[in-house]
Amino acid sequence: MSVLSGQRAWLLQRITAIYAGLYVFLAVVLLLARPPADHAAWLATITHPVIWTATAAFAVLMLLHAWIGLRDVILDYVRPFGVRLGALAIVAILFLLLGLWALWILIEAALR
Amino acid sequence: MEFSIYRFNPETDSAPYMQDFTLGDDLVEPGMMLLDALLLLKEQDDSLSFRRSCQHGVCGSDGMNINGTNGLACIMPLKDLKAPIVLRPFPGMPVIRDLIVDMENFYHQYREAEPWLVNDSPEPEVERLQSPEDRDQLDGLYECILCGCCSAACPSYWWNPDRFLGPAALLQAARFIQDSRDEATEERLERLDDAYRLYRCHGIMNCTQVCPKGLNPAKAIGDIRRTMLKRSV
Ligand code: SF4
Ligand code: SF4
Ligand code: FES
Repeated sequence: MSVLSGQRAWLLQRITAIYAGLYVFLAVVLLLARPPADHAAWLATITHPVIWTATAAFAVLMLLHAWIGLRDVILDYVRPFGVRLGALAIVAILFLLLGLWALWILIEAALR
Repeated sequence: MEFSIYRFNPETDSAPYMQDFTLGDDLVEPGMMLLDALLLLKEQDDSLSFRRSCQHGVCGSDGMNINGTNGLACIMPLKDLKAPIVLRPFPGMPVIRDLIVDMENFYHQYREAEPWLVNDSPEPEVERLQSPEDRDQLDGLYECILCGCCSAACPSYWWNPDRFLGPAALLQAARFIQDSRDEATEERLERLDDAYRLYRCHGIMNCTQVCPKGLNPAKAIGDIRRTMLKRSV
């Protein structure tokens, strides 16, 4: 598979969608079944190693999914090369920051 | 019967415009096709320009946008169309004159699909044989008449006609990827695996909806994806 593979992006978009769907479903079920009573309980839930890892993976994969989607939109509609490159760069930087922010929140919660 | 037809002559017009035509009811016969009506309108105004040849849905030359949908005028029953019948050239393609568009890019993308058999094995005595089952794989792929209705209806082809091959060319790519006698399957799949050539297709399925031969380019594209996936795992 080449570096610029269209198949990889297409496949990743589908795999990340399946993961995100499963995560959201399980999260809703879990929160409905055992709603955390207070902040401490919420913290305990989210820092449980399995949930923490699943959530971190969700944040990263969700951003990857959104990146492929937005990249597709930009490749489709933004024709001038410079503008396209600029738009891709802005989205990439934004998503990178969002990802780091999400992970920072999770790490902070785990260190409490 | 009323018509509203897109007119543009680059030698005399600064901009395209819509011209109204009327076909007398006495001239409308049962079983008439749109192309028959166009030929009668051309008798009224012989500057009206459009392509046509076989008049039987075989040559693929009279594709146009009919009441908003791409189709072949020669096999479009007049009675199925709501008047006024609005005729325009294919969307997204450069207009040469009236309903005639420049299909050079369309043919270029067709060539990009390398629509020929690649087989470097020594030629057998008689012919390269295929089992009936293998031959069946080509049904729904080889019948394309290259009319362009599908590609001219595809939003992905409108935006990226220079880099996305478009449904017609991809249908032909699928036709040779499926062919059991072809030896370049790997190379064909590899060439299609970039961000544009195949993967600009988002499964909108306009192509399948308009194909006057009832072919299904969207499915053929899906099949190429599946073949790629099988090869890479
Ligand atoms: S299915 Fe793909 S090729 Fe067909 S119209 Fe939609 S985007 Fe174009
Ligand atoms: S697939 Fe159908 S619509 Fe497209 S060029 Fe071939 S015959 Fe025409
Ligand atoms: S004239 Fe040949 S397909 Fe219509």
